[in-house]
Amino acid sequence: MLELQDVWVFIGAYGILRGVTLAVPTGAAVGLVGRNGAGKTTTLRSIMGLLPVRSGQVRLDGRDVVRLRPYERARLGIGYMPEDRRLIGPLTVEENILLPAWAMGLPDATKRLRWVYDLMPDVRAMADRRATWLSGGQQKMVALARALMAGRRWLLLDEPFEGLAPEMAARLATVLARVREAGLTILVAESDPRGIAALVDRVVTIERGEIVPDGSALSTGPGE
Amino acid sequence: MLDTLVVIGTDGLIYAAWLFLIALGLSLIYGVLRVLNIAHGSFYALGAYAAASLIGLYGQRDFWPYGVYLMIPLAALAVGVVVGPLVERGILRWMYPREPVYQLLATYALFLILEDLTKLIWGVDPIYAYAPYTLLGDVSIGDITYPWYSLLLIGTAVVVGILVSVFIRRTRTGRVIVAMIEDPEMSTALGINVPRMSVLAFSMGTVLAGLGGAMTAPMIAVMPGMGAEVIVLAFAVIVLGGLGSLEGAAVGALLIGFLRAATVHLFPVLELFVIYLVMALVLILRPRGLWGRAEVRRL
Repeated sequence: MLELQDVWVFIGAYGILRGVTLAVPTGAAVGLVGRNGAGKTTTLRSIMGLLPVRSGQVRLDGRDVVRLRPYERARLGIGYMPEDRRLIGPLTVEENILLPAWAMGLPDATKRLRWVYDLMPDVRAMADRRATWLSGGQQKMVALARALMAGRRWLLLDEPFEGLAPEMAARLATVLARVREAGLTILVAESDPRGIAALVDRVVTIERGEIVPDGSALSTGPGE
Repeated sequence: MLDTLVVIGTDGLIYAAWLFLIALGLSLIYGVLRVLNIAHGSFYALGAYAAASLIGLYGQRDFWPYGVYLMIPLAALAVGVVVGPLVERGILRWMYPREPVYQLLATYALFLILEDLTKLIWGVDPIYAYAPYTLLGDVSIGDITYPWYSLLLIGTAVVVGILVSVFIRRTRTGRVIVAMIEDPEMSTALGINVPRMSVLAFSMGTVLAGLGGAMTAPMIAVMPGMGAEVIVLAFAVIVLGGLGSLEGAAVGALLIGFLRAATVHLFPVLELFVIYLVMALVLILRPRGLWGRAEVRRL
């Protein structure tokens, strides 16, 4: 279970998140939708520890992780795919994917890498290419592959479909559907709810840093 | 004319090798930690003092004479292992969230403290440790005689450059360091233990500064103030080459080495003027340095 309980985040004097409360049951996928600047990215970055939470709790399986540093949270099994990909340009695709495994000293890195490649054969085909030389869509796929390497339990995806050509978006949707079968708990932020409707169990709407109380329930899934 | 060119070339290479050893550590520290470390000059001086002491102690015993060369890396390691973690954990980590001006002030304060500390430990009189310099004898290049030790300095710089390059490009820890250089925030989100890696990178930079000093000790009189003159030149090297770049440190060191050698032989009064003139021109025409890359603007 991934939970945010009355989370407040400020940048300067301005409240970016204002009492956000949100729960993603284990094995479920929840979509966090809202316009640009609504607080989607801030929510994901706060869960990851990249922005300080002024008050409230971020709980992973009941454990409040607010005081943990980002790398300590990552080591609990969170995979984070940022909106702007943030691949390490001088490293190859495979090195980018393996970075979390190297950083955490994961003993089953090779097995996990094979699983990621089986999910995303396109990524395997460009394993030796430098991340700098990939197209935006390819970078999205590699960023997801890297998040899957780190994210053994939770996956935070920030605008995964933004800017993708329809063909690439369809491929990414297929991969995410298969990832769901692996039992990961997923929180995916998107501006357009239509893009993720088929992938998530529930959609939560955020506006001006607050969760809209009557977020629409699109369907029910295993975590409901 | 040919003789002059050979001399300029050889002198330039020797000077570049010396500069590279010192600037490489400074560049590594800036690349990973984004700290312009003025105390790097003190680490260089500490390496020289430690080497001079160890060489002196070794010389008092009836050991195999060539074993004295082991004192040089030993001194560098001692400085890196003791001073590096102490400074990084004790001072610098508190400075990372602050403005660069605070980091500069903190490392400058540390520089002054370490200068006084070396006076307290070793006194103000020069210390001589010539044994490694004289032991190897001389070699003739054209009509000029050079000490073999100067060529050893070039060899050491090449070997160190290759080792650091292999470490960065071929080892997992090296690739993790590259990730930290490229994107520190994303690195921590990927599970990289940034504090531990920061200590490692800073200590490596300190070892390199110490090695620069230790290699220099047999060629000079080790005395207070030696760290001050080197830090300005080391900054010039990494600014010319590109902050945080291994190749940039090599390019910057070679450029300054050959420039200095040429002016010393052809227009001696312009020795320092030419170095800083070129640095100013590079900063105007290519502010990120000859080998530096433009910062990627994230949208």
